[in-house]
Amino acid sequence: MSDLMLKLRNLKVIFPNEIGILKAVEGIDLDIHRGECVAVVGESGCGKSVTALAIMKLLNSPPALMRVDELQLDGEELKDYSDTKMQEIRGKQIAMIFQDAMTALNPVMTIGNQIDEVYLRHSKMTKKKAREATITVLRLVGVPEPESRANNFPHQLSGGMRQRVLIAMAFATMPKLIIADEPTTALDVTIQAQVLNVLNDMQKKHQMSLLLITHDLSVVANMADMVYVMYCGKVVEKGTVKQLFTNPHHPYTVGLLASVPKLSDTHHHFVQIPDCVPHPMFKPAGCYFHPRCTHAIDICSKEMPPLVSVEDGRQIRCWNCLNQMKGGK
Amino acid sequence: MSDNQEIKSPILELKNLTVNFPVKGGLPFTPKKWIQAVSDVSLQIESGETFGIVGESGCGKSTIGNAMVGMVRPTSGSVIFKGSNLNTLSRSEFKETRRHMQMIFQDPYSSLNPRFTVYQIISEPLYIQGGATKEQMTERVVELLKLVGLSEKDLYRYPSDFSGGQRQRIGIARAIILNPDFLICDEPVSALDVSVHAQILNLLMELQDKLKITYVFISHNLAVVKNICEHMVVMYLGKVMESGTTEAIYNNPKHPYTKALISAVLDIDLEHSQKRILLKGDIPSPINPPKGCRFWQRCPYAMKGCIDHPAEMVEIEPNHFVACHLVSGFSIEDKTAGLNCPIEEEHVLKHNDEKKQSN
Repeated sequence: MSDLMLKLRNLKVIFPNEIGILKAVEGIDLDIHRGECVAVVGESGCGKSVTALAIMKLLNSPPALMRVDELQLDGEELKDYSDTKMQEIRGKQIAMIFQDAMTALNPVMTIGNQIDEVYLRHSKMTKKKAREATITVLRLVGVPEPESRANNFPHQLSGGMRQRVLIAMAFATMPKLIIADEPTTALDVTIQAQVLNVLNDMQKKHQMSLLLITHDLSVVANMADMVYVMYCGKVVEKGTVKQLFTNPHHPYTVGLLASVPKLSDTHHHFVQIPDCVPHPMFKPAGCYFHPRCTHAIDICSKEMPPLVSVEDGRQIRCWNCLNQMKGGK
Repeated sequence: MSDNQEIKSPILELKNLTVNFPVKGGLPFTPKKWIQAVSDVSLQIESGETFGIVGESGCGKSTIGNAMVGMVRPTSGSVIFKGSNLNTLSRSEFKETRRHMQMIFQDPYSSLNPRFTVYQIISEPLYIQGGATKEQMTERVVELLKLVGLSEKDLYRYPSDFSGGQRQRIGIARAIILNPDFLICDEPVSALDVSVHAQILNLLMELQDKLKITYVFISHNLAVVKNICEHMVVMYLGKVMESGTTEAIYNNPKHPYTKALISAVLDIDLEHSQKRILLKGDIPSPINPPKGCRFWQRCPYAMKGCIDHPAEMVEIEPNHFVACHLVSGFSIEDKTAGLNCPIEEEHVLKHNDEKKQSN
């Protein structure tokens, strides 16, 4: 038993197809400690959702091929577990909150029955006991009148309520790790604030580890402790929220942070990153970001920079930053 | 200030616009239900400005946009574009007017025909209008492609070859090919990646400078609206809660909903994080909206009078209107009836019971 809840080393996921090989994730290391909230940030197509699914071992093979050196949950190696064995882990030790609550819930089952299932499957309760537990957990996430709500079908609930039901389902067995894949993207701002509050409270109260997958930097700033910035299947920068948001190093992180419109802005021009994310089939040679980078130098187009540790736990993948560090020393 | 306003004639004006949609289904011989998407909205949009419409989903902002270009017929009230009422125009007059108003849609993945080439998509408005030769059309399309940051070689490619940001550029080119005066941007960036947001917004701003187009910018992103709009309205459940200059609304929000909305915007600024106002509950259904102020069920300051009496728009400073009893106050008679007292639990319960019975 260690403090490290999830240890992921060198995760690679590829999707072979007729044209070639689509490398979705190219060697990612991820550490999540007990009670910590780790965020993986990136734009669409950078492999963040695939990473989440790979940790749950939910990727269908074929088409996906996954290879990982180490995948440890609380010291338990999951790498070689069969599907039946994973079923014991999923829902009980790792749970997932999906983005779109409408498609993640079964439309022809009441939400009470859906949450009951978790208990019936994992903790050998009687049906009556399971329903009691369901009502308790629904109350915990702030669903009003949980006794009658449990008999509702998903379509009878609003978007925010449905997301709460998903959160309740994830927290039902008090798992060690919760993966939240874009938990608030489909919601309105005022509802988003409510749902994030619930998620934050639950995580802090029960000292769980949370892996937050999102493209919304403002959510990260308000929730996470540690941040991984991904670009085209590779981690380009890692650091604590404070380090990254106050002093970003990688040009991509800098650009991403600058391009978020802020309420405190006064100018009428938005800072932009030129061009767009390359197609994952056709990534450029060298550093994947160099065609969009304003500081690109010769070596950037030839060689992929290594992920180098800087001060306390911070990591960065950029030739320029590397050179600066060498120069500094 | 107000004198200045009258001299400047508005390019588009909504007068007490109400749009209801019938609810499909339901039992026979029961009264038909209506969704009150927009109720009694009046606003003026000046020529050359960017006008923001803000609100959560289901508040009627897209319906207003559609009604402005005549895609939705108002149940009552009128849309007046450059002095002519859209609903009383004849078909040919309407078609002629519509040329000057165009729209950019939210989702660039579903708003472009996947079987059309870029040339066909962008030139379609010109083709429908008629009167241009193929060469003229090609020339104009190429000119526009360059204007929106694409190149001539993209002319015969299909939408599936482009990324989201590029598709949105194609959508913008299609919208401006007829030189419109008035452009409705219905959440133009919310379906795009964060790093592309800024590109599209900057492009829209550049085009406005070059072509002097009036924009209506429909969005739920308050930070964007703050930066690009001169005037704005905040909507909730089909009604305008607060309207005025963007500056006034952001610096001095008066309506509890506006305050909550602004505070709910998460900022990436770690040092200046403010206390968030958390609203309770969800948006009520527009089929059976609250009788009084539409916001009272979620309002932290709701009073007894808010339940039954709708709040009127009052001007609290030049160009800043608010519809809230907190601001306008109650008359003396109402006060003696105790309408300005805070709501007690039993009121809410009673109201809920009534609502259940009426359903």
